Amino acid sequence: MVRLRGAGCRFGPREALRDVDLTIHAGERVAVLGASGAGKSTLLALLNGSLEPTTGSVEVFGEDPALLSVPRRRRLQRRIGSVSQDLALIEQVRVLHNVNAGRLGRWSTTRALASLVWPHSLDVVVDALDRVDLGWALHERTERLSGGERQRVAIARLLVQAPELVVADEPVSSLDPVRAAEILGLLRTSPAVRTVVVALHQPALAQKHCARVLGLREGRLVLDLPAAEVSDAALNDLYALV
Amino acid sequence: MTVRLDAPPSPPAAAPARRRAVSGRRVVLRRLSGLLAVAGLLAWAVDRALPAEGELVNRGGLALLDDLAATALHPSLDAAFCGVVLEATVTTLALALLGTAGALVVGLAGGLILSDVAWDRSPPWPVRAGRLLLRGVLVAVRSVHELVWALFLVSVLGLDPLVAVLALALPFGAQSAQVFGETLDGVPGAPLRALRAAGARRFPALAYALLPGAAPLLLSYSFYRFECALRSTVVLGVAGVGGLGVELTLSLQSRNWGEVWTLVAALLALAAVVELWSNRVRSDVAVVTCADWSAGQARAARSPRGLSRSTRWSLALVVPAIAGAWWWVGPSPAGLVSTRTQDLGGRLLLDLWPPALPEGGMPALAGASLDTVAMAVLAMVVAVVITLVVGPWAGRPRADRRGPAAWGRRALWWPARLLLLVLRSIPPTVWAVVALLSLFPGVLPGASALGLYTGGILGRLVAEAWETMDLRPRDALRGAGVPRVVSAVLSIGPPSANHLVTYTLYRFEICVRDTVIVGAVGAAGLGRLLGERLAAFDFSVVTSILLASLLISFAVELLGRRLRRALRG
Repeated sequence: MVRLRGAGCRFGPREALRDVDLTIHAGERVAVLGASGAGKSTLLALLNGSLEPTTGSVEVFGEDPALLSVPRRRRLQRRIGSVSQDLALIEQVRVLHNVNAGRLGRWSTTRALASLVWPHSLDVVVDALDRVDLGWALHERTERLSGGERQRVAIARLLVQAPELVVADEPVSSLDPVRAAEILGLLRTSPAVRTVVVALHQPALAQKHCARVLGLREGRLVLDLPAAEVSDAALNDLYALV
Repeated sequence: MTVRLDAPPSPPAAAPARRRAVSGRRVVLRRLSGLLAVAGLLAWAVDRALPAEGELVNRGGLALLDDLAATALHPSLDAAFCGVVLEATVTTLALALLGTAGALVVGLAGGLILSDVAWDRSPPWPVRAGRLLLRGVLVAVRSVHELVWALFLVSVLGLDPLVAVLALALPFGAQSAQVFGETLDGVPGAPLRALRAAGARRFPALAYALLPGAAPLLLSYSFYRFECALRSTVVLGVAGVGGLGVELTLSLQSRNWGEVWTLVAALLALAAVVELWSNRVRSDVAVVTCADWSAGQARAARSPRGLSRSTRWSLALVVPAIAGAWWWVGPSPAGLVSTRTQDLGGRLLLDLWPPALPEGGMPALAGASLDTVAMAVLAMVVAVVITLVVGPWAGRPRADRRGPAAWGRRALWWPARLLLLVLRSIPPTVWAVVALLSLFPGVLPGASALGLYTGGILGRLVAEAWETMDLRPRDALRGAGVPRVVSAVLSIGPPSANHLVTYTLYRFEICVRDTVIVGAVGAAGLGRLLGERLAAFDFSVVTSILLASLLISFAVELLGRRLRRALRG
């Protein structure tokens, strides 16, 4: 489903990611661990096609996003759902539009614009918001929500997009432990979603919710094990200061 | 989509260089040189404006001025004329509305093309080259005054209302495009990138991710532009299009002072209503003052509280109002593509090139250019004096003040506001005609006319800046036991001076552009030359005059930037 061959990424003089070889199969649940600045966000950006590698190649669903024409890449990206660290919510609109934004890829331009005035198939939005416990916030302005609530709006947006691959960059960083477990569970059990790649800060959550754990350190992939086999010593190595 | 994520922070430099201390002597020297430059400019302008010999005051015209004053309380109230005035008022409003709508269409399209955020990766080089070209075209389009556009368009399209609409829409649209582009780039880009990464098409993604953030600012700017358009529509009367302005020109030419006063009253009423309405909407959607917009920036865009009922209604009425305006003025867009227009337009373009020097050659052109600059400088002196005298009283009194002093302040507030409104709502052409009655044609009457008009605008800008000024520093000083007057001077003085300098210099640039208006009615400078040459269909000379004014605009902008830096140090 996802294959990286010698993929590396360089921002000016800084190598954010070097020489990563990685294969993720359909149905896998993968956690990405690593200290701040280890290259987690860069790796995830390669997976959802929002970044192109400076060396090596990336293949998602058997195609290299960098080589596709614009419409075909768009069709590919529809099948990938992303939650980024900063959530990328539109602050000034009602929550329902932020949730509906997940479906923009499948909508025609006219339907998308019309929906800003007269929301399209609201029941889908209500359903998704109910699943993240935010049914009451349908008509609330997004900027009035708390950090945790906003994170759940981003998850609801993902649910209506119904992607086959989910790429989530610290989706639960501002949630309490119970809610965090709940959201990760949602990502895992959503019917359309088959594969999840998620960057996390808490190794315990990773081991509980994911079957496979990747560890990044200074841009290199240094750990790739089934969750059960990850030892405390390996984790300590991962987070140790240089 | 190869969107580069926000580039991660670069590694810290080996040893950060220590910031050099600002030398006090340097600051003083820089300010002194700035002040000297201003003083020199003033002395030069005064010297240039005063005629070498002969009289300054036209005694023959003073009697007419007497007539004008005497009829002030007896405006023409003839029923037929009142009907004409009412009709002209509606036409003015309709033209301003259509002109603004056109400017917004141009501005939105141009703004999207010019903004970086709408292109989700670095665009290919043909696009970039096209954008650079567009930027240049927009600068050229807006450096030509709307009155000049109207005069050109009249010679191609005839006296069609479309002339007024286009003459407003072109320069205002070019200005809006730049502001909109910057506004769109100011909206956080993460949501847009996220939507694009999820496979959304370009336009829906832009509408969802950018519009909600930018809309309040765009709306506020549109209403500010509408106020400007109303004033400009009246000025366009000189070219023979535009409702009240035309009637005003006719009545002035026939010296029918009673009618002039009626028209002025209608003008004031219209301007007052539109400004009150616009103020309300603008303060509702986003806290950006006129002053910010005129200076081409939108700072302090705190999130709006949500729209009040009156704002919702006025927004809902905008589209029907535009349709109604179109029906009322009845422009003929077919005229744009008729063979006659093509024929005339083609001939005009051929006549414009190559540029030729006016009679008297280069010295005449240079002299007129210098007259223009001198006129603008003196006009700014008048405007600053008006601002300093009237401006402080025109700001809304703070609600928390009590006692007789506060009552006195409130009693002064309305007259001061009204005075500024009168100054800026009566078009500079009228001020110029009045000035030309009492002074011999030259730099001086033009400068005083422009100065009165600009004073009305500058006074309002400074008053608005005062209204929104942060008073916490003053309260802190007071709390520390500093006497009231001293703490007020210390805390309010410097930022006020700063505002005054900034707005004066910005307005100076606009003033140079506006000299064409008073020139066209016979004051002096490039405007007068332009008016004469246009009337004589001497288009090759017109081209060189336009080039000269473009050059002056650039020079003045450069000078303004330098002075601003020197004075603010």
